[in-house]
Amino acid sequence: MTQDTLSPPLIEFRSVHKHYGTVPVIRGIDLTIRRGEVVVICGPSGSGKSTLIRLVNGLERLSAGDILIDGQSTAGLDGAALRRLRTRIGFVFQQFNLYGHLTAAANIALAPRKVLGLTDAEAFRAAATLLERVGLGDKGDRYPSQLSGGQQQRVAIARALAMRPEILLFDEPTSALDPEMIGEVLAVMRSLAESKITMVVVTHEMGFARELADRVVFLDEGVVLDDAPPERFFGATGHPRAKRFLSQLLSPLHQVGG
Amino acid sequence: MGFHLDWSGVLAGAPLHWLVTGLVTTLAVTLAASLLATVLAVGLLGLRVADNRLARGAARTIVALFRDTPLLVQILFWYFAAFGLLPGGVRDWINADHPWAVLPANVPLISPEFLAATWGLGVFSAVFIAEEIRAGLQALSPGQREAALSQGFGHWSALYHVLLPQALANAYQPTVGQYLNLMKLSSLATAIGLAEITYQVRQIESFNAHAVEAFAAGTLLYLLLGVVLGRLLLAIGPSGAGGRTSEERQADARPAGEGRHGL
Ligand SMILES: Nc1ncnc2c1ncn2[C@@H]1O[C@H](COP(=O)(O)OP(=O)(O)OP(=O)(O)O)[C@@H](O)[C@H]1O
Ligand SMILES: [Mg+2]
Repeated sequence: MTQDTLSPPLIEFRSVHKHYGTVPVIRGIDLTIRRGEVVVICGPSGSGKSTLIRLVNGLERLSAGDILIDGQSTAGLDGAALRRLRTRIGFVFQQFNLYGHLTAAANIALAPRKVLGLTDAEAFRAAATLLERVGLGDKGDRYPSQLSGGQQQRVAIARALAMRPEILLFDEPTSALDPEMIGEVLAVMRSLAESKITMVVVTHEMGFARELADRVVFLDEGVVLDDAPPERFFGATGHPRAKRFLSQLLSPLHQVGG
Repeated sequence: MGFHLDWSGVLAGAPLHWLVTGLVTTLAVTLAASLLATVLAVGLLGLRVADNRLARGAARTIVALFRDTPLLVQILFWYFAAFGLLPGGVRDWINADHPWAVLPANVPLISPEFLAATWGLGVFSAVFIAEEIRAGLQALSPGQREAALSQGFGHWSALYHVLLPQALANAYQPTVGQYLNLMKLSSLATAIGLAEITYQVRQIESFNAHAVEAFAAGTLLYLLLGVVLGRLLLAIGPSGAGGRTSEERQADARPAGEGRHGL
């Protein structure tokens, strides 16, 4: 895509390593994601996909290497600087993780109020707009336990957007959903992808990858085996290991929507 | 031998007065120790969940020390040993008359007995209350904290805005149980001569040998206190997990889809 020549790097992984105890999980990853790109990360279970994106916002700490965000090193970041970085990066979890004691609107408004210092009125007005945007304008006063999985995930996306992030990270946002709810979440993600926000999406929704990704990154045992535009990734010249992974995904025992 | 109860030996004259004094004393020591326990529990919980290994270790030691030793021994320690270690001036002041600090029914609030019992019960209960709330925190999905951190909340603000509200709602009933326990355990202060209900019951029994009636009256008072206190605390608290009303939770039954994590 033309992204590569036009936009500057936003996330740069520089020989990134992560091990838990003595177990290596990410084993030397170099990867550049440019502003406005939509990058899908896929790979077998345990290949380190979650770990990789959790390193970006410091939910996991680097063992070696560095991740530059907008040219700034994040390796040793902590305290206020780390918190400030996190306000610029939205994270959407597989299990939604909405704040259980707050309504949908209050979930969305909490961090803008308490972290960014918006007034309650401003934050709730923005929350109402975001709820409209994810198709839940009438659900603002519902508690998470009163919403379906798909609705919860859409609120979670709205909550991430409320911080006006430069980067959105998704960790298998549709994997915990009943099949009939996957579409509504993907629809919201599609509109985001088209809005030119930088997205890194761990997902096995290959329809999403094919249609909306600028690049697909294939991870296996903590290293990048393939990094290609979807037409090449899914085409004849794709990596053999990735081909095997895809055929397993598409086998009848592992149905994929989209 | 025919068995019949004679309430006149308990519900009239000096014995009645003693029971009233006992009731006021039990109420006073329960209230004072509850307040103290609440304050100490906040501090202890702060240490227990601190972002600092040393603080957490210190808190664990305090918890073990007071949770795993008998309360009676602790109360005796505060009264007989620790009180003696106070500076002489302080002891004299405590022992002196304080007409402004005397409750109706002639219950003095500043006396070695009242203060040792309040302190002992307060410290002991603080440990249990803090542990109930910590259990409430631990029952939350780790994703709650991660979601807060990923939005730029710090350790303490995540606790305050996201984790504690849910933990307090979850732990509310067992915590109320700890305050009721405190009330019942105040009977142990009879051992250091605090003139609370149990002390008065035994005084009546040795005064006129109406043991059964006296103990029946004492038991009834504890029962009444427990029921009233329990009802009161549960009425002002959240009605269930998440701190929501029962109508709101009834609506929860609606979507039964999977992928909803329990909180
Ligand atoms: N906190 C942790 N402590 C120890 N090992 C961990 C921890 N988190 C992850 N791992 C291990 O690291 C490896 C990579 O985990 P990760 O969650 O990043 O994989 P994944 O690609 O996201 O897998 P999945 O598709 O199952 O979500 C796994 O073997 C996992 O068991
Ligand atoms: Mg994962």
